Amino acid sequence: MALEIIIGDRKAKIELLSQNGNLIRVNVDGKIYDLDLMMVEQGVYSILYNNISYNVELIEKEDYHHYTVNTLYNSWDVEIIDSEIKYRRNRHPENNEDVRKIFSPMPGKVVKILVNEGEKVKAGETVIIVSAMKMESEYKVKKDRIVKKVLVKEGDTIDSNQTLIVLE
Amino acid sequence: MIQKVLVANRGEIAIRVMRSCREMEIKSVAVYSEADRASMHVRYADEAYYIGPSPSIESYLSINNIIDAAKKSGADAIHPGYGFLSENAEFARRCAEEGIIFIGPSPESISTMGDKITARKNMMAAGIPVIPGTVEPITGEKEAIETIREIGLPVMIKASAGGGGKGMRLVKREEDIVSAIRAARSEARAAFGNDAIYIEKYIESPHHIEFQILGDQHGNIVHLFERECSVQRRHQKVIEETPSPLMTPEIREEMGRFAVAAAKAVNYFGAGTIEFIVDENMNYYFLEMNTRLQVEHPITERVVGVDLVKEQIKIAMGERMTLKQEELKQNGHAIECRIYAEDPENNFMPSPGKITHITEPLGLGVRHDGYVYVGYSIPIHYDPLISKLIVWAGTRQEAIARMRRALYAYKITGIKTSIPFLARIMENKDFVEGKYNTHFIEKNMEMLMTREGCGRRCQDMALIAAFIHYTKKNNELKINNNGCSASNQWKAFGRRKSVNRL
Repeated sequence: MALEIIIGDRKAKIELLSQNGNLIRVNVDGKIYDLDLMMVEQGVYSILYNNISYNVELIEKEDYHHYTVNTLYNSWDVEIIDSEIKYRRNRHPENNEDVRKIFSPMPGKVVKILVNEGEKVKAGETVIIVSAMKMESEYKVKKDRIVKKVLVKEGDTIDSNQTLIVLE
Repeated sequence: MIQKVLVANRGEIAIRVMRSCREMEIKSVAVYSEADRASMHVRYADEAYYIGPSPSIESYLSINNIIDAAKKSGADAIHPGYGFLSENAEFARRCAEEGIIFIGPSPESISTMGDKITARKNMMAAGIPVIPGTVEPITGEKEAIETIREIGLPVMIKASAGGGGKGMRLVKREEDIVSAIRAARSEARAAFGNDAIYIEKYIESPHHIEFQILGDQHGNIVHLFERECSVQRRHQKVIEETPSPLMTPEIREEMGRFAVAAAKAVNYFGAGTIEFIVDENMNYYFLEMNTRLQVEHPITERVVGVDLVKEQIKIAMGERMTLKQEELKQNGHAIECRIYAEDPENNFMPSPGKITHITEPLGLGVRHDGYVYVGYSIPIHYDPLISKLIVWAGTRQEAIARMRRALYAYKITGIKTSIPFLARIMENKDFVEGKYNTHFIEKNMEMLMTREGCGRRCQDMALIAAFIHYTKKNNELKINNNGCSASNQWKAFGRRKSVNRL
């Protein structure tokens, strides 16, 4: 059975053709590989392909569909799209919409809130300043909006991706 | 004799200091804030004392809390590390009043060198070349404009109490003078509570070269050669190396003599660093003195073969220094890379968070000074420095190759780090040829931001490993699911029961 895997910005199709102990034959986007593949440590694979040695490290993220994969020179985010992931995606289509909220990708502390609930803000205006590790970051609105709700106070400690301000 | 040292710091430098203490059979005492209970320096120390809430102003910068911890623990000395209270003259004075040895210079040396204008005056009096500019602090705007006309554009406006690039403004055009002065003063007031500024001629394409010095309390001072620190981003050092690829033996000797003279001029003892700014024609000027151990001290330790922390402790005990200038030699080449918790691809935004995995580089000529471990959460309250990777090799070329190898082997997952960005610097032509100044990162930004992949085949291998791992996990889950059904649990229970009865 072929599976789809997203690696960085590439979507690849992969299928296991045969397996005999360590020796496997796989098809990746139409290319056939005969490999000697072994899990040598928990989550670390040693792969030999035509006697060329690859050491690949896998770090599981939120579940066994999501990994950070390290090779010697690179590091990628990998997502395995099986029927479960497809089902989850179809159930939550709103995840892909513009949700009109301000959040910080990093955890930190709210330094200053520059707007009040009900206020109109113009595109490019800064609404909140968050600091982490001695650096301050300003968060701006991308379009003209109205501030619907301010969910944090100045001085609050925030998590990454926590909603700070809801816009309309 | 010092028998117990309290380290008034956190992170990698606290551990680095404790390592030397351990070798000297001196007990080490850690202090920690609320956020740092699980931090490595607390685990590594012999004793640890709580000193307050997470914000550094209430803990690592609280003189009273640290003095209290020192008294409770019975420490006879305090090592301040770098940052925090390391260049705070009041703290050094308080230690003396409380009968605790401050491992560092005298409060007088700290305050003389800490105020940039006083430092400039002292250096001029001692015959050290300083950048052409003002001698007295400037408070009026009119006065500033006149002075700038006299010196000639471009100029640098700096805060007298400044450091770390704060309160600094470059002025190239006449019409920008007033706004730059206002901005520098307000920034200086906010950061240091003092809005005195001074003006210096701006040096085009400058190099930042500093000299390590060590002095004892008996008036002996030596220098331990230079460190090239020109790879900077926003006035923060990123990579340091020694020897400097620019240096000639004649200029090294001359600058070393000036560095020693500068330290003598303020009766300096302890470890310190004289920073110079050097132009394309190797004209050099005194920039400032750092009256503490520097972040980048390990490259000097490696090339000169001296443990600077041990020397600091011995000097603080009043011992006579055994190092002689004529016996000190530079051996080989060392490079340091600073690994920060930041995302180079997202405008270097800080990236605190939980470390899920680390693979540290090992092997010949590699030193790694860090403090994080798997499962540790890097707090949001402090500096984003995670670790320092230091390599040594016989030649500069070999050291670069070694650093490249070590950076590729170094993996930290869970947070973003500057490792890939540093690896790109090691591949940059200007860096490899040693032709760079403080504009290096700006100039090479495009090259440094492009990531070269390991090729399609290598990516395929990553895909295959992920696929196989997923398949294995998926199968394991299926087996476990079968075992979890109610009837099977009863079966297992029955089996266990009969086995136990036997």
